[in-house]
Amino acid sequence: MRNGESVLQRRIALGEMLDEESFTDVVKGFVELYKVGIKVFDDKGAKLADIKIGNGDFCGYVFSFPEGRRRCTATVGRVKDGPIAESHGARLPVLAGQDFGPAGGGMVTVPCFTGLRYIILPIRWEGDVLGRVVFGPFYPEDLKDFAPKTLTDIAEKFDVSNARVLVEKVRTAPESTIARIMVHFARLLQTMLFAGQKMFLTSQLHIEATLEQNRELEERNKRLEDLNVKLKELDRLKSAFLATVSHELRTPLTSIIGYSEMLAEGLAGALNGEQVDYVRTIMEKGETLLKLISSILDISQIEAGKVRLNFEPMDALDLVNSSLSSVKPQAQKKGVQLEAKSPPQKLPSVQGDRDRLRQVLVNLLANAVKFTPKGGKITVTLTEVAHQPDLNAPGYRVIIEDTGVGIPADQFDKIFHSFYQVDSSSTREYGGAGLGLAIVKSFVEGHGGLVRVASEMNHGSRFTLIFPVLPSSQAHIQITPPVTALQAPPEDRF
Amino acid sequence: MQLNHAQRELTVKIVYYGPGLSGKTTNLQMIHERTSTDVRGRLLTVETHDDRTLFFDLLPVFFNTASGFKVKVKLFTVPGQVIHNATRRIVLQGADAVAFIADSRRSAGPENNSYWKNLQENMKENGLDPALTPVVIQFNKRDLPDTRSDAEIEEARKKGKEPIVGAIAIRGVGVLETLHAVLQAAYRSIDARAGLGKNISLGEKEFLTQVFANINTAGSELEKAYPPKRAPAGERRP
Repeated sequence: MRNGESVLQRRIALGEMLDEESFTDVVKGFVELYKVGIKVFDDKGAKLADIKIGNGDFCGYVFSFPEGRRRCTATVGRVKDGPIAESHGARLPVLAGQDFGPAGGGMVTVPCFTGLRYIILPIRWEGDVLGRVVFGPFYPEDLKDFAPKTLTDIAEKFDVSNARVLVEKVRTAPESTIARIMVHFARLLQTMLFAGQKMFLTSQLHIEATLEQNRELEERNKRLEDLNVKLKELDRLKSAFLATVSHELRTPLTSIIGYSEMLAEGLAGALNGEQVDYVRTIMEKGETLLKLISSILDISQIEAGKVRLNFEPMDALDLVNSSLSSVKPQAQKKGVQLEAKSPPQKLPSVQGDRDRLRQVLVNLLANAVKFTPKGGKITVTLTEVAHQPDLNAPGYRVIIEDTGVGIPADQFDKIFHSFYQVDSSSTREYGGAGLGLAIVKSFVEGHGGLVRVASEMNHGSRFTLIFPVLPSSQAHIQITPPVTALQAPPEDRF
Repeated sequence: MQLNHAQRELTVKIVYYGPGLSGKTTNLQMIHERTSTDVRGRLLTVETHDDRTLFFDLLPVFFNTASGFKVKVKLFTVPGQVIHNATRRIVLQGADAVAFIADSRRSAGPENNSYWKNLQENMKENGLDPALTPVVIQFNKRDLPDTRSDAEIEEARKKGKEPIVGAIAIRGVGVLETLHAVLQAAYRSIDARAGLGKNISLGEKEFLTQVFANINTAGSELEKAYPPKRAPAGERRP
């Protein structure tokens, strides 16, 4: 909670629980019905309602005399701010045997120097006094000789007969009747307060909850942003590290391969058969290691956002043929047949990054050779340029099919994640770090193209590459991150 | 807790927490029904536009101590539904003790756990130390099929330090016992911090008696300690 104290934590003022306009209407209705004025004050003396009836002319006349004004102000002050207790001129009201229960608790009568009277009732709410209701002035039925001396002595010029006429308009009633009306009003007020409190709390809580939710969201966003920045930085560091390390590994490795080659070719003197075999093995393993390092370097550069595809006009058939020729030695050695199919007429020139696409095809073909047993067959098909519904643009396809071990259907997505192998045992059998397909996918998608895979276990796999004739130039090159595991939940109380 | 020496007033806040439909409102309704109007206000239920969900309930209980201090105990419930977490956190603000109402059915275990965690998180968010804010656990709905056995509840008791009370709130069983346990825990926690006995001469016994002497304890385990003053619940107006 950082939005300050809730409304639930503080005392609610009387004014907050009452809608001023509708409360005034209710008080007005009450006043008109019972012909007695009502004033409502909160515990700080602020006026919440003030409806007068009948006494205006009379009080105005009294008020026109300086002494009348003084006494009137004192009485009003007593009524408004004085203690709601039997002190300072106030006394318990005459209830004529009525018992109002707790609703009437604390009621006192305050006599006015004019002979009229007020009754005050505290507004209680949950054990607190939140304000007061002032009823009056009214003309008490038991007031026999009007006007009393306390009124007539305010001025020599005071006209009693005029005052008698004016006071006629003030409601006459027994004190007990006024008290009863007042208790009735207090009950009504309790109901209004209850409804008002509910409405006030509901609206306040809605506001607080919204602010709180907002705060929570902002905090979460902030956390995510910070995390994102941190992750990006880590990612950049990792890629930079990989790139440097790969480079440092490659340099000595090429020397190892080069010197082995020279040794095998007898440049340093003739070797016997066994020695040549050993040196060739060093060369081959060196090549494998070099390829792996190159893949890691590629991935790290893609991740570091350093790879820019260089689109230029190229011949797709040429691309297929040159890729095939680079895997031919491995295929021949393993006893796997290679076949190329292409459309009869020459393909129009298409756009692409020739080197990257060659790498894509070589990766896929090398995979096919790797996973196809002796006697198997690999077919590469290049299609004509036609509308490609998947791209919604004109394009062509390169399909690479093998008769190898196949890929389980539930792995089709995962094989494109970096460092993923269908099962870890295949790493031992076939080698590789699980980077080839991740590179394939990012380069093909970098051309605005798609990779589709279909496979049947033990019968073979088919990779379909769909390329647009004109690559969508702004395509962002991304690598699909490794598949991660979930955390275990904390301990339970129940 | 709010202690206002100038106005001689102490406000204690108790929050009924737990998953939706575990019986938090029912607890408050039962307390309301059994408490004399001399010491309680109306039960305020603030609903959201969606009718099942209660935003929160509030039942104020108040009395004056022998030394003339005004004590207000405010019992709140939080909304159970997951989406109202912000409101739950607001209502929990400044709580002196929490009654965690759990559904005893075995199938409700995961929900109880997730709200328990939510309680700890929201306490921390509000600056309440979960280790210092007392919590009483009520295992409600003991009458339903699939409820945990006594042995299983014993096991849950051993897992933590919180007092555990079994209940069938809808029939009033265990409701006052839970209130008693949570008020006692709240008193002790506040007393340890603010020295109520010393500073405002309010002892634990008086605190609890001022409340429970005005509650109809008939039929509950508290009947002996706080004998009901008036007619049994059935004959009184709710």
